[in-house]
Amino acid sequence: MATDFLYGLLPEHLLLALILVLMVLEIMKADQGIAGPLFLITLSIGCCVLVAQLTSGYTVTLAPGEVVIDRFAILARLIIIGSGTVLGFFSITGARSFKTWMLLSCSILGGLVIMDSAGFISLFIGIEMLSLPGFALMIHGRGASVACEGAFKYLLMSSVATALMLFGISLVYAQTGTLLISDFAVAASSGGAQNWAAGALVLSGFFIKVALFPFHGWAPDAYDSAKLPVTAFLASVVKAAVVLALVRIVANAPLNAEATLAVSALSVASIFYGNVAGIRQTGFKRLLAYSSIAHAGYMMFALTDSTGGRVEGLLYYVAVYAVTTIIACACFSLLCSDESDPLASLEGAYYTRPVPALILAVAVLSLAGIPPLPGFLAKLVIFKSVIASGHLLPAVLAFTGSYLGVIYYLAIVFRLFKPASVTEPAGAVLPRNWSQSWTWGGVFIGSLALAVFMLFPDLFHRLLAIV
Amino acid sequence: MFDGTMVLLLCALPAAVALLVSLIPGKESGLPRLISLVGMLALLAISAGLFFGFDGAGASGRYDFNFAWIPSLGVNFHLALDGLNVYLVLLTGILFPVVLICAWGSSQSRDKLYLNLLLILQASLLGTFLSQNLMLFFAFWELVLIPMFVLILVYGGEKRREAANTFFLYTLVGSVLLLAAVILLGVESLRQTGAWSFEFSTLYALQLDYGVQLFVFLSVLLACAIKCPLFPFHSWLPLAYGEAPASGTAIMSGALSKMGAFGLLKLAIPLAPAVSVVAAPYVILLAVISILYGAVLALRQEDFKKLIAYSSLSHMGYIVLGIFSFQQASVHGALFQMLSHGAAVVGLFLVLSLLEQRVGASYKTITALSTLAPRLAVTLMLFILTSVALPLTSGFTSEFLILFGGFQQGFGAWQAGLSPLTLVAVVLACSGMVLGAGYMLRFARVILYGKASEDAGMVDLNAREALAFLPLLLLILWVGIYPASIMGKVQGAVDQLQVQVAGSVVLPQAVITNISKNGGGNGH
Repeated sequence: MATDFLYGLLPEHLLLALILVLMVLEIMKADQGIAGPLFLITLSIGCCVLVAQLTSGYTVTLAPGEVVIDRFAILARLIIIGSGTVLGFFSITGARSFKTWMLLSCSILGGLVIMDSAGFISLFIGIEMLSLPGFALMIHGRGASVACEGAFKYLLMSSVATALMLFGISLVYAQTGTLLISDFAVAASSGGAQNWAAGALVLSGFFIKVALFPFHGWAPDAYDSAKLPVTAFLASVVKAAVVLALVRIVANAPLNAEATLAVSALSVASIFYGNVAGIRQTGFKRLLAYSSIAHAGYMMFALTDSTGGRVEGLLYYVAVYAVTTIIACACFSLLCSDESDPLASLEGAYYTRPVPALILAVAVLSLAGIPPLPGFLAKLVIFKSVIASGHLLPAVLAFTGSYLGVIYYLAIVFRLFKPASVTEPAGAVLPRNWSQSWTWGGVFIGSLALAVFMLFPDLFHRLLAIV
Repeated sequence: MFDGTMVLLLCALPAAVALLVSLIPGKESGLPRLISLVGMLALLAISAGLFFGFDGAGASGRYDFNFAWIPSLGVNFHLALDGLNVYLVLLTGILFPVVLICAWGSSQSRDKLYLNLLLILQASLLGTFLSQNLMLFFAFWELVLIPMFVLILVYGGEKRREAANTFFLYTLVGSVLLLAAVILLGVESLRQTGAWSFEFSTLYALQLDYGVQLFVFLSVLLACAIKCPLFPFHSWLPLAYGEAPASGTAIMSGALSKMGAFGLLKLAIPLAPAVSVVAAPYVILLAVISILYGAVLALRQEDFKKLIAYSSLSHMGYIVLGIFSFQQASVHGALFQMLSHGAAVVGLFLVLSLLEQRVGASYKTITALSTLAPRLAVTLMLFILTSVALPLTSGFTSEFLILFGGFQQGFGAWQAGLSPLTLVAVVLACSGMVLGAGYMLRFARVILYGKASEDAGMVDLNAREALAFLPLLLLILWVGIYPASIMGKVQGAVDQLQVQVAGSVVLPQAVITNISKNGGGNGH
């Protein structure tokens, strides 16, 4: 049992150790340059451990009703920690202080704790650990009042979401007297006003966290006010963790008819809203925010599935989305070193920096869902289960919405290929920056991961099936 | 097994060459261009070998490559040569080296991006034609868009951004519903056979009710009508054809437009036979409107590029007319027309591009080409005559067969007491041939004859370019003079199509009961 506690939760222990080491280093005023590599090494070891657990078919219940390591937990943690690693590469260029790395580690640790949990207490702790460092990350090292505004919006909405969730959970607790996640799912689907309200509250809480329309208000400001790596972190790791937390709760259980209707209506609205509002954006981070609202729509759309394809579909979608977003942000940072992020700075980038420009173009087209890129396959996996559940009309509407999204993703590609002569004289090549080589590494690893996702779209189906 | 590998190679070779080309260092070397050409020629050899080796229905299992890609969803990487795609594979094999050789002298042909785009286009086009799995088909169908979009965007003319945007967004509209239909078919397969499958062979065998068929048919029709294009979905065409670089226009008109016709043959009719039979007269009507509308617009064009673009609209109408007449003759004609139009229109656009390379933008005012550059003029005239459908060229074979089959169908329907719509439409379509002769010969007169301006000088067709046009001309004459020699290769596919349609001819009765049962909606 003791070894299980050590081995099953090894990635968590490693992260915890990392945080402590970073703290000590901070006190000792050590060279801040080692923080990033330490972070990467720790996360890589975590990845290796998880892969080892995955291949050996390791599952264990560590604390009955509270902590469980099952296939889903391992896969989900792998996604979180994997995208965290890619993000780490990207962050090294910008992040200089121990604090940033501590906060990042803490947030990722929260994500891992969520995935392990079988009871609401650890789930709740995980969600808080995930969200709160995000708030600190956003204002850390930024004096601008805009940053404070965005961060405060994030904090407030996050707290409201937490409150709603707690309320919902306690409604069920009042009836059943347990805090087991599995009991919650059963209760929420069994009907009755109180259960119904509980389900609605918890779902609303999650909708706020994933920024689903009309709960999206905080996202554009929050994304815009943070630094690009932090924005990428919010859009990838945090979002992935929140969606997977919801999956942890509802798993493959079909929702009741009313909830299905509401969820599909909100998802379609979110897809439309995000994609239409995205068209007029001129800043990259704001665009990313609206894109993330639309993607929240696709992800929540999977909840209307009743054929049992939800878990693998969302695992795949979340993984692809997180990695693609990080790659897009990293490529953008390679092309535009400016602190502000006008899309106009991408103009003609293909002619000065062809490789990142092409990768950005592919990443963006993948986000738009153009076949056969992984972004398309991810949407396909979701939509096939939605249509198989008999929701053809919402699916067609969602397709139409995603078509609108193509417009602004395409606008980015347009800018990349805009003739250079118009915007700046040729030869204005950015000086080669050595710190960028880390970002390159991240882009490379991320692209590799995406290639694997593209070649083996039923990866998660197979991995979930093996016990 | 060997033949199956060859089929895979058709798709994989261009992709591999593209990868190789992008790995070659250096910006200004001619090596990438050479490698690409060698790759394309090798591909031409393979496709020609497969074409001659293919003997119709008997060998259906021979040229087959099947690999399970997403087993849990029934998506296989399944490529196979069959009667429907055998012509198109040959055509795609021929077009690309021709296009590259014609662009040989231009600066863009040293550009690795350009070569990559061409090769990826070729791979994805062949993938679309060869795929025997609906999801794979869809993926390739969409993939074609990306290199073409970038090709227009980077190498196009003045209004390239607008053109690229229009092209991409227009063609993507069709895909939105198409994807829904594709998934719906997969769901039907799950419902009926108990497993996800997107294999065409499985999907063809499903019993789809009328509502589902209607949805599938309409979404496929929309996607294909935009791609073809067919009136009234053609408005992207003049801009895209006009602004794309010469090679882009040639490929778009020669190969991309065939995807639309191919989609109708491969998806619309076999998957929704009952609806196809009911909708055929209306689709024929649209086709005939395209024929006439394209011809009338072409008559009024001063710009040669636009003239050919509209003539292309007109000729694509014939293909759709042939397909939806369902007769032996007309389907054969439609398949020939794909070859014939592909070769002729590519020839025309490429000759124009050569003129443009030689004299720049003033190519629009060239006259008396026959005295300035006789070899070029003869080549151009041969392509023009094919477009006019002169006997002994492939244009005649195909348009004659199409109209013949159309008459058979229209007359049969009229005699059976059904609506005379088809017959009227086919009669109107015949006048399209007259109009076609009108605008094409006017074009020939203006450009070939007349008075040469004093300072005019023109380099004639050189050996390299002449060699490039040779396969196109051979193809045209071969189909024109001895079509029966290759008709056997597609006979099996044509028969199969007729069986699929015939199986649902008795349906009008069933249709009515089904509609009343489903309330006319698609029932989902």
